[in-house]
Amino acid sequence: MMQWVKKIHKWVSLLIGLQVFIWVLSGLIFNVIDHNKARGNAYRQAISTKQNIIAEKDLLPVESILAAYPDTIELSQTTLLSKPYYLLTKEQALYQHFANTYQLVNAISGELTIVDKQLATDIAKASYNGPGNITSTTLLTGNIADFTKQKNPSWQVNFSDKLQTSVYVEQGSGRLVGHSNSDKRFANFFFMLHFMDYNHEGSFNNVQIIFFAFVTLWLTLSGLVWAIHLLRLGKYHKKYI
Amino acid sequence: MEQSTINTTHVKKINRKPIRLLSLSHKIHKWLALLIGAQFIIWSITGAYMVFFDIDYIHGDSLIINHQNKIQPEHLTYSSKALFRQYPQAENLSVGLLIDREVYRFNVNSQKYIVDATNGDLLSPLNKNKALALAKHAYSGRGELISAELITADPPFELSARHLPAWRINFDDFGSPALYISANSGKIVTKRHEFWRLFDWMFRLHVMDYDDGENVSNWLLFIFALLAIFATCSGLVLSYYKAIKPIIRQRKKAIKSSKYIGENNTLSMDDKS
Repeated sequence: MMQWVKKIHKWVSLLIGLQVFIWVLSGLIFNVIDHNKARGNAYRQAISTKQNIIAEKDLLPVESILAAYPDTIELSQTTLLSKPYYLLTKEQALYQHFANTYQLVNAISGELTIVDKQLATDIAKASYNGPGNITSTTLLTGNIADFTKQKNPSWQVNFSDKLQTSVYVEQGSGRLVGHSNSDKRFANFFFMLHFMDYNHEGSFNNVQIIFFAFVTLWLTLSGLVWAIHLLRLGKYHKKYI
Repeated sequence: MEQSTINTTHVKKINRKPIRLLSLSHKIHKWLALLIGAQFIIWSITGAYMVFFDIDYIHGDSLIINHQNKIQPEHLTYSSKALFRQYPQAENLSVGLLIDREVYRFNVNSQKYIVDATNGDLLSPLNKNKALALAKHAYSGRGELISAELITADPPFELSARHLPAWRINFDDFGSPALYISANSGKIVTKRHEFWRLFDWMFRLHVMDYDDGENVSNWLLFIFALLAIFATCSGLVLSYYKAIKPIIRQRKKAIKSSKYIGENNTLSMDDKS
C-alpha cells in the first residue's frame, strides 16, 4: 500500500505543486499586508452631507411619485451631491451588489434622472480628496476587476494620482460602489490567484478551484499516511536530523 | 577526446550540487511534515469545504423567496402629509410592502418605525404573530415553524448587534435554518443554517484565528505560513528530482536513439537524390 501512497503523493504534487505554492505564498501575503491600505480608500472622503436644502416633508409627496412611476417594489430616499432623490426599485435582488434595476427621480422636480457621465464624474469627485485629476470615465457593464462582487453596470472614474485611484459609481442608483487603487489591486491580484478566479467573477466556487481542491485532498492525505508510516518506522528519530 | 573530458566535468558539476539540494529538501520536507503537516490537512479540508459549497447557498440565499410584489399607489390612503403631521421628526421615509400591505418606514432620532400606509397604524415593533407571518411568507422551504424568540441584547455570533431588536424564527428543516427579522423595520436582516455556521468554523480554522474568526493577521498563521513556504518549496524540489527529471532523462534517451535512426534515414534520402 505504501508504494501507492508514495506514487499518489509524487504524481499529484507534479500536477498541483505550483498551485499549492501559490496558495501558501498568497496566504502569507494576506497575513502580512497592511489591510488598511488594501481597502483602497487612501483618497476617499465622506461626501459632505450638508443640511438638506429642503425639508423632507416639502419634497414631492411619495404617493404622486409612485403613481407617476408604477410597478415599484420599494421607494426610498437618497441624496446625490446634496440634492434629494427618490430611488425606485424595479427589480430587487437579495443584495445591493447583485443585479438590481432602479429608477432615480428628482424629489423636487419629479424628473427621471439618469446617472450619466457628468453626474457620475461629479459624484466621484465629491468622494475624492487626493491630488489627482480625472483622466477618463468609462461605463463598465461586465465583470469589474476592482470590485468583482458588483454585478451592476458602474461608471469607472480614473484619477491621475500616483496610486492610480479609480472610483466606481453605480449607474442605476448613483451609489458610490467604492474606491480602488494600486494597493488594493496588489491585494486583489493575490486574492485572484488564491481563489483561482481568473475571470474576476468574485467567486471561489469556480470549476478549476473545485478540481484543484479535490486533488489537494489526495496530496495532503497521502502525505499524512506517509508521515504516519515514517513515524512507525522510527524515521522521526533525532539521529536523523 | 578533448570534448569528452569537458563533458564529464560538466556533468559532475551538475550532479554534485543537486544531491545536496535533494537531500536537504528531503530532510526539510520530512520534518516540516511532522511539524505543520496537521495544518496542511486542515487547510486542504477547510479549503475544500469552502470551495465545494456554493457561497450563495452557504449564505442561505436559497432559504428565502425574493418576492417582487409591487406597491399599489392607490393603497396609500394614509397620506405622507398626514404622516409628517403625526411624526414631524420623521426622516428617511421609504415606502414598501410588509407581506401584502403597503407601509411607510422611517426613522425618528435613528429609531426605526413602520406605519401602515392604508390607515396610519403603528406596526413596529413587530409582535410575535406578525414576525411569524412574515417569516412564513419569506421562507422558501417546506419545514414547519418551531419557535420564535425576540433578541434584544447579547446577540449570537451570527447576528450583528446593529440589527437589534430582532426576531429569530427557527424552522424544522434540513440544516436547522433560522431567519432573523428586525422588529423595527420588518426586514429580514440575516438568515442562517448549519452549513453557514460550519463555514464560519472552517474559515476560522483556515486562517488559524482561534480568537474571533475575523483576523487574518495573526502570529500563529504567520509562523505556519512561513514554514509552509519552506515545506512547499522543498516539495517542489523533490517533485523536480523524483518526477520531472526522470521523465526528461527518459525523453533524452528516446530522442538520442531516434536521432540515430533519423540520421540513418536522411542519409538514405540523400543517397536517392
